[in-house]
Amino acid sequence: MRSKTSCFNGTLFRKNLSRYWPLWGLASFGGAMFPLAMLLELLHNGFRFWSPLETRQAYYTVLSYGVPVISIVYAILCAMAVWSYLYNARSVGMMHTLPIRREGLFVTNVLSGLTMMAIPYAVTGVLLVLVTMLFGGFEPMGVLVTVLGVMGESLFFFGLATFCAFIVGNVFMLPALYGLLNFIAVLTDFMVNLLAQGFCFGLNSSYSGTVEWLSPVVYLVQKISPNSTYETQWVTDRLGGQRYETSVLTSVTLENGWLIAAYAAAGAALLGLAWLLYRRRRSESAGDVVAVGWMKPVFRYGCAVYAAILGGRLLYALLWESFQNGQYFALLPMILCMIAGGAVGYYAASMLLAKTPRVFKTTWKGMLAVALGCAALCGAMKYDLFGVTRRIPAPDSVKLVNVYAAGSNYYLTPGKDDVLIEKVRTLHQTIIDDKDYIQKEAPGYGYYSDGYTASVEESAEDSGAQSTITHVRITYMLNSGLKVERGYRLYLTPDRMAREGTYDYLLDQLINSPEMRQKRIRWRDEGFQMTEAWFETWSGGGTLGSREAGLLLDAVAKDAENGDWGVYNWFLADNDADNYDLRIQFEYKLPESQFNRIHDTIRINVKEGMTETIRALKDLKLITDADLVTNRERYPWQYAQGGWDQYDQFYKQFHMSPEEYYERYSEYPAGWFGTESDELPTETENAPAVDDSHSPSMSAGAEAAGLGIIGGADGPTVMVTTVA
Amino acid sequence: MIEVKNVVKTFDGFAALNDATISVPTGAVYGLVGPNGAGKSTIIRHLTGIFRQDSGTVRLGGEDVWENAALKAKIAAIPDDWYYFNSAGIGDMMRFYKGFYPNFSTERYEKLREVFELDEKRPIRRFSKGMQKQAAFWLALSAMPDYLILDEPVDGLDPVMRRQVWSLMMGDVAERGTTVLVSSHNLRELEDVCDHVGIMDHGHVLLERSLAQLQDNMVKLQVVFPDGMEDVPAELPVLHASKLGRVHTLIMRMNAQEATERLMAYSPLLVDAIPLTLEEIFIYELGGADYAVKDIVL
Repeated sequence: MRSKTSCFNGTLFRKNLSRYWPLWGLASFGGAMFPLAMLLELLHNGFRFWSPLETRQAYYTVLSYGVPVISIVYAILCAMAVWSYLYNARSVGMMHTLPIRREGLFVTNVLSGLTMMAIPYAVTGVLLVLVTMLFGGFEPMGVLVTVLGVMGESLFFFGLATFCAFIVGNVFMLPALYGLLNFIAVLTDFMVNLLAQGFCFGLNSSYSGTVEWLSPVVYLVQKISPNSTYETQWVTDRLGGQRYETSVLTSVTLENGWLIAAYAAAGAALLGLAWLLYRRRRSESAGDVVAVGWMKPVFRYGCAVYAAILGGRLLYALLWESFQNGQYFALLPMILCMIAGGAVGYYAASMLLAKTPRVFKTTWKGMLAVALGCAALCGAMKYDLFGVTRRIPAPDSVKLVNVYAAGSNYYLTPGKDDVLIEKVRTLHQTIIDDKDYIQKEAPGYGYYSDGYTASVEESAEDSGAQSTITHVRITYMLNSGLKVERGYRLYLTPDRMAREGTYDYLLDQLINSPEMRQKRIRWRDEGFQMTEAWFETWSGGGTLGSREAGLLLDAVAKDAENGDWGVYNWFLADNDADNYDLRIQFEYKLPESQFNRIHDTIRINVKEGMTETIRALKDLKLITDADLVTNRERYPWQYAQGGWDQYDQFYKQFHMSPEEYYERYSEYPAGWFGTESDELPTETENAPAVDDSHSPSMSAGAEAAGLGIIGGADGPTVMVTTVA
Repeated sequence: MIEVKNVVKTFDGFAALNDATISVPTGAVYGLVGPNGAGKSTIIRHLTGIFRQDSGTVRLGGEDVWENAALKAKIAAIPDDWYYFNSAGIGDMMRFYKGFYPNFSTERYEKLREVFELDEKRPIRRFSKGMQKQAAFWLALSAMPDYLILDEPVDGLDPVMRRQVWSLMMGDVAERGTTVLVSSHNLRELEDVCDHVGIMDHGHVLLERSLAQLQDNMVKLQVVFPDGMEDVPAELPVLHASKLGRVHTLIMRMNAQEATERLMAYSPLLVDAIPLTLEEIFIYELGGADYAVKDIVL
């Protein structure tokens, strides 16, 4: 007699697949649309040979960005299907009456779920491979890696969904818990920061990403990506036989692909945990919000904590924020708001667990604990009991330091940049010591934008003085894998900047030091791998080959060394009058992906005086003299007093904007925007019809000349005279 | 043999079963009776392996039921609220059960088609309650079980079909020695088919005996006392007494002979012992456990 008591039951497996065929059938249909769309597009746009590497790149792109998002949704649907019997007393009774052990049910249902997940991917994958084969792009390694990746991610997400299925006792709670677990780390991070930044000086990031790996879909999408390498090569046109230079894809790898294996292993572990929960699961828990006894207090107090922070913050914003003095929360109102929010979460959870609203008499002790917890948490943060505000990591505990200041990122490595790191720590300590001053001068409501330059009240002693507010962020990556991140809005004045020992002085000395200028462009900085470079001019641009990029980087470094580029003027940060409409961008792969990003882009605005860079650009025939027009010359109205009025007058007179005019004639009409007034425009066939009533008059010319004298200012006119 | 010994089961602090003990001999038809909430369905869910007891033992044929697939293959159960897949017809459910029960007899299934004249392709959800019960019996009996565990089994069936179903089950008991445990509130029907009865209340089995023993343990007497004796003597152990004219109807916990002998001491004009129905036994037994028909005037 055949055994029917094994760990797998074919009848149940077939029943699951036949019962839920609309789910995987619809998913397969949806998936099949992608290769079909690709086929139609290829046919429509003409037969094109795909290189296998392009195919691999396409596979990896889908694996990196598409599969996690699809899997997270589809896995919960499959899990809801196969475990739905657990949530109904009748169905769980029938299934547990059957002559099969729970491991048999578990294994069979897990295999059913995974099969339901695999079918649509298999259908889509096979069709995709057929389409790519048809166009000559079959790439077995890419297919293999993609298949393994899809299997790994499917296993993880289904494992997580199954784990959730055995914690809850209600089918509606399953997607809720699954969604929460997928994003709980991000949500917690966000909420803790939301509260902490209202209490702690320097804590002002809304999201740290410290435990992002606990939010799988976010982490996978962030970390895994196709890593493509292009090289400039001469290629021959297949049809015309002509040779031309182009960027050619030379290799494609899956960046951080091992993470999928790690998550797959976690998925298998979660399945193991789910099995342990199933062994102990009580059938009578069908219909309960939480089926596992020890999870009930976790659910109750978890809801209370989240509601306290989120609801408390919301209530505070509604009821008290307008009375708040300064950037930081008032302690007592915040405690009361958090208690109110926490009470909502606590009692809502208690009612769900008890399935009755009559919980107030029996749960008041727990509510008291929630209230005390809210008060303790707010008090601890307000009075910095944990030393968060004062914390500066010791140099030997740090493995990387990231400083963001003056619009640029700097990465400092212990051993190589010890002197700079010590300067950063000194600056940090000085900022902390000047906490009261900073909070008074730069209270920060988000009113001042970064680099905002404001004039202060002039006095006899302080004639023409300026101030600015800038944002500095210091991040220490610790050897333990944790990070300490602080951000400050700093009030800077030229007086203080000239005075040794102030944070203004230390910041300026640090950022404008030759070492940091080189750091800014990652010049000869080990570990930073340039992945792409390109340039943009007013008339176009293009991708740079690695040789071109290297030459340009060297040229910028020389300009930095000569002082022709990279000296940051804190009080004229927005002054781009001397810039050309010409930018070079270098994209680097960061040495360690510890800052929630893998790539970093450096943008160089080429300006007047960068002789080495301009020479290199010309030598490489990337620009001509026609490109060397400064913003002041090209957009004079932006830098002159009353310039925008002139802009409007110009438009009325010439029926086109000054930009259009300049683009067409490469100059402005005489008398406009500082040109000589006697050089009146000459009508040509191509020149626009000139409205006589609005032709440049002497008075207009005088105004323009006047502007020309003043021209060159940037922003508020009071700053003009102080520009060095 | 079905043995439930000292089983305790609590739900959030509420003891649904409190030291419950029953014993069903092999081949017996055991009626489990009790008021609503007594714990009958809970004990059945233990017998079918759905619930796991907090303490005590639940055994069939000397083996623990919990997670015993081989044993469960010999058990067919029809709960009060039988579950079927939403779009499944009887044929679908037959194939499903056939994949689990090694003794499932297709031959018997075919034969029973003549008894249960149901459309096998029609979704079960479209059947009436009685037809769904028929479908459940059809499949359960086709599984050729050694143990049939039934919770309110004939509820919803018409009288003819009830008789038909009982006839089929009795046939299995007689021919294959099937042990049947049935929970029902229809005591008149149980009286016709059961040979053993257990009465439950508040999660506890108050008593269990063979039906004959049960009927021998309690007696109903109609008595007419001599003139001048209006009331029932206080020293008599009477469970319940009522009076109509001069005729007293007494329920006493003893056999008919002993009760008659004790009444004879009062020289009654008439003594007549009448056997109690199961329903009466149920009512008077539970009356002692504070469960009786209350004279409530609305």
